[in-house]
Amino acid sequence: MNYLKPSTVEEATELLGSSQGMILAGGTDACVYMAEGFCDPETLIDIGAIDSLRGIETQPSDDGDVLWIGACTTISEIEASEALPRALRQGAHAIGSPQIRNLGTIGGNICNASPCGDTLAPLLSLEARFVLRSATGTRTVESADFFTGPKQTVLQAGELLECIDLPIDSCEWISAFRMIGNRNGQAISQVNAAVSTKLEGGVIQAMRAAVGSVAPVPLRLPQLEGALVGKTLQSVQWADLKAPIMAEIRPIDDVRSTATYRQELAVTLIFDALMDCARQDESARKGADT
Amino acid sequence: MNVIGKKVRKVDGQELITGRAKFAGDYRFPGMVYGSVKRAGVPAGRITKIDADAARQLPGVVDVLTAADIPGPNLIGVLPPFDQPLLASDEIRYDGESVVLVIAESAEIARRAAEKVSVTINPYDPILTVDDALAPDARKIHETGNVTFTKKLIKGDAAAAFEGADVIVEGVYETSNQDHAYLEPETVCAVPGRRITLYASCQSPFHIRGHVAANLNLPASSVKVVQASTGGSFGGKDDVATEIGALACIAALRLNRPVMIAHERAESMIGSNLRHAARIRCKTGATKDGKIVARDVNVLLDGGAYASESPFVTMKTLIHAAGPYTIENLFVESTTVYTNKTYCGAFRGFGVPQVTFASESQIDELADKLGMDRLEIRRLNGLKAGDANATGQVYQQSVGLQETITKIAESVETSAPTTEDDRYLYGTGYACVAQGISNGAEGVDVTGASVQMSQDGSVLVGIGLTELGQGSRTVWAQLASAILGVSLDRVSVRLVDTDGVHDSGPTVASRSTTVGGMAVLKAAEEVKKSLVTMAGLMMKTDAENIELRDGFAILKMDDNARIPIPDVATAAYWTGFPLMNLAFSKAPDADYDHDTHQGDVYIAYNYGTHRMDVRVDKLTGQVKVLNHLAAHDVGKVINPLGLEGQIEGASLIGFGFAHMEKIRYRDGIIQNANFADYALPSIKDRIPTATIPVEDHNPTGPFGAKGAGEPPVAAAGAVFANAVSDAVGVRFERLPITREDIVEAIERGNHD
Amino acid sequence: MNLHFICNGQAVQIDVEPNARAIDVLRDVLGLTGTKEGCGRGECGACTVLLDGKPVNSCMVLAGKLEGRTVLTIEGVAGADGSLHPIQEAFLDVGAVQCGFCTPGMVLSTKALLDENDSPTIDEIEDALSGNLCRCTGYGKIVDGVLEASERLAQGTQEHGAKP
Repeated sequence: MNYLKPSTVEEATELLGSSQGMILAGGTDACVYMAEGFCDPETLIDIGAIDSLRGIETQPSDDGDVLWIGACTTISEIEASEALPRALRQGAHAIGSPQIRNLGTIGGNICNASPCGDTLAPLLSLEARFVLRSATGTRTVESADFFTGPKQTVLQAGELLECIDLPIDSCEWISAFRMIGNRNGQAISQVNAAVSTKLEGGVIQAMRAAVGSVAPVPLRLPQLEGALVGKTLQSVQWADLKAPIMAEIRPIDDVRSTATYRQELAVTLIFDALMDCARQDESARKGADT
Repeated sequence: MNVIGKKVRKVDGQELITGRAKFAGDYRFPGMVYGSVKRAGVPAGRITKIDADAARQLPGVVDVLTAADIPGPNLIGVLPPFDQPLLASDEIRYDGESVVLVIAESAEIARRAAEKVSVTINPYDPILTVDDALAPDARKIHETGNVTFTKKLIKGDAAAAFEGADVIVEGVYETSNQDHAYLEPETVCAVPGRRITLYASCQSPFHIRGHVAANLNLPASSVKVVQASTGGSFGGKDDVATEIGALACIAALRLNRPVMIAHERAESMIGSNLRHAARIRCKTGATKDGKIVARDVNVLLDGGAYASESPFVTMKTLIHAAGPYTIENLFVESTTVYTNKTYCGAFRGFGVPQVTFASESQIDELADKLGMDRLEIRRLNGLKAGDANATGQVYQQSVGLQETITKIAESVETSAPTTEDDRYLYGTGYACVAQGISNGAEGVDVTGASVQMSQDGSVLVGIGLTELGQGSRTVWAQLASAILGVSLDRVSVRLVDTDGVHDSGPTVASRSTTVGGMAVLKAAEEVKKSLVTMAGLMMKTDAENIELRDGFAILKMDDNARIPIPDVATAAYWTGFPLMNLAFSKAPDADYDHDTHQGDVYIAYNYGTHRMDVRVDKLTGQVKVLNHLAAHDVGKVINPLGLEGQIEGASLIGFGFAHMEKIRYRDGIIQNANFADYALPSIKDRIPTATIPVEDHNPTGPFGAKGAGEPPVAAAGAVFANAVSDAVGVRFERLPITREDIVEAIERGNHD
Repeated sequence: MNLHFICNGQAVQIDVEPNARAIDVLRDVLGLTGTKEGCGRGECGACTVLLDGKPVNSCMVLAGKLEGRTVLTIEGVAGADGSLHPIQEAFLDVGAVQCGFCTPGMVLSTKALLDENDSPTIDEIEDALSGNLCRCTGYGKIVDGVLEASERLAQGTQEHGAKP
């Protein structure tokens, strides 16, 4: 096997274009796939040591300032960054174990495109944009448009994910994430959910909600979003959420859970995430009062 | 200092905590090659063709073996007639069946090569349920039919007694397969020589030696089995260690090279035994005062493809179906059947967790029906010294059940929430257990142990029972230390090597402390005789005036008259007094009727009572265990740290069994053979077990002790079910009770 | 590839396949068999080592990723004179070790935690050890071991003056 370790993105995209190799970032998914025999790449391109692919910082962009996240930023770094929205940090914290989070990268979690990836629902709820780069140029894709099926994305041959842009204003919204797996520690999500809310006086001005593991790709829930705008967050009832969520999700029975349980969980996790937002809002307003 | 009852460090802890302990996979020998097996991949069928050419051609592959290459009978098992092949030659009886063994220069090459072996199988419709297996026209999985083993226990006249019962409860209770999930997958390493040496992660080295030698077609003495440090076993490293041990030895002798076979995690789950899934129909009758008068139980165990330990598990379910209660009229029928699934065998608890779940569920149901307190009904029916138990056996002492109930009743604390939140349901459960200690009437129970003292006063204990993490070596060392008056750090316990220690029977049935301990005690007492005799001669007094304590032989009437033990040992050596003894501990021959299962079975029982308080999230089904108390009558605590470790660890396995763990089959293929999808509890799932020891002196154990390794599994499983049933207000009759099940039950309740 | 890294304080230079797993490099090339393989899929934590001070599953790290980095395995935790680390002492004293197969990984995850946080809460301990499965102990005594170790380390720090 060829193992290539480029030190710049340019080098990486060139190698990717010429070799059709497999990208290795943190390796936590790639190593499992290789061990299971799901793939046996001739060439591995390890982008984990490219400094310019790591970090979290505010950058200007054409659509206003964005919070820039390098694709090779580790899940642990995401989890620890106070600059990032709560939903994304909570999602990062829910992934695997400390050992996995120290290796795994946010770019890897995105490109692996598992319907249960715990950063995906948060990224959708934050309307993140993904910058894809190849030897011939870059393009930007909305997170909601990136996933096309389980383990499938719009990434084309020769392209890699360079960074994630979070619109600054969405980072200022109040957000939260919830997941449930088959155990409390080191669990794969049976369902996960993220919401991000723009509130004024506790009233929802705008919101975005997303769920994972209830469809082939992580889903935004526009019907739910529409139904909640204008309501007081505190007054939201579990039962109010059920119909609009059920209308949009398509869970299945599999080894990890049942469709019925997933439906219940999707509603409950969105509800719990909203209540988390309500508590944040309340304590922020208390803080502002004093 | 007398170390009995003191918190002491594990005597083998230093090697483990530094990473120096050698597990089977840590052995390295020059020229070592690695084995990997090709498995059937379908649950049932007949092999029509094996093509290993592609595997042979892979660079690094050194040998390919099929059933034809096995010198011996190609059979293993626990009881004759053995029914499990090392490598299948014709019939495929489960998905994980080993068919071809590939040997290569690296484990990785061996695995890749095994994948390239093509086994053509003419598939049969797999038999996947006990009902299908027992159907009159069912295909026979084995020539003998699909009933592995069936037995009855008959005491009194249950049918007649039900007539006189005021209340009767009936139910059908089901439990699922559970994987041992020890952290170390099964591993062996065979080194050829004039005699072949097998380093194995295993539980019963002598058992393995016999089977390995038989399949090599050599006498047992040509094989030496060395137990490597073993990373957990819980009953699981018997059959499978035999299987891969024999394969490794056969290949090693063919190639004249050391051979290692290490299972991958998936193989450990698919290709080695599981806990039997069970369906238990149970009916219990009582008077209006709550006195149980009759019970009728039918136990159906799904044993999978091979018999393994099923005969003993079947028997254990018979004997334990009554729980720790006096029930004068009892009819129990227990049957294990073959199915085309991974074979089932020994797993900590050994059938008792399954029947205890059924029994304890019914005790709650009875209490509810009678409007009685759930703990009170247990006390009313619970065994006391002098009572006849399910097999009619009467113990005059060491029946501490009532005291465990009292302790639990006394330590009750309120679990009521401080704030009312309709998101959560709260519940409390109780469960009692009795579990037999020793092989008992299931087999002969003999243990040999040696104790020897060197002239420097250090002590070496040798015993054929194995340390698997449970802390037995520490217990044996404490016993020798206490008898011989030397400090614990002067006592070592031999690693188990079939050349170096005596066959002590299998390390099972919570017997290591009790039966093994008695042998160590006897051997130490003999060495002590030499020492006190010698010291008596040196102090010009009779031996009975000498005691051994704190490293000295001391004159009982004058504490200042003392001789260091090394001096006594040296003098004894030169005088020709033996400083080594091999002693045997043999359980009394059982007076037992195998047709009715009446008579004396075990040398003792461990009794326990658990309480658990839970909080259930109505929306997610998540259960938080707020409180878990585990009171067990252990006769005498030898090492509190070890005891707590056993009770806490066993309880979490019971909790996993009752709440989280389930082997999921689809069409006879296990779907979750990995630690991501098979959810054994993580540290965030732990339960707050508090151990409450009760010491009701057991005359058949060392210093009154009796084993404790298994009983908490059954009690913790049953108490979880009762606590969650209490919280939800629905009787759950199937384990595990998963979050999905809880949410579904609550939903159903809302709609009813 | 020619690989350079620091292992247990010593510079290592070896020639390995870059796609070899770190666990195999440690166990088979360097003979450091204290690192255990329990699942090979990053799900059990028995193979935990510290990479630049952070716990990782060595079965999920390819050799090529070790270049220029620092690895600590269980063999490097005790003192050069054989004296046990306070974490190891505490684990033995409270009964946190049963079969011992998960133990090296538990000790290393604990070390990573206590290196960053000298007085962790129970929740923080559970978080830090959530990637280390144990089937023997029920975990209670492992948590006790971490708490005991943190106390001993704090006392040791007091005795030896302020922390660097």
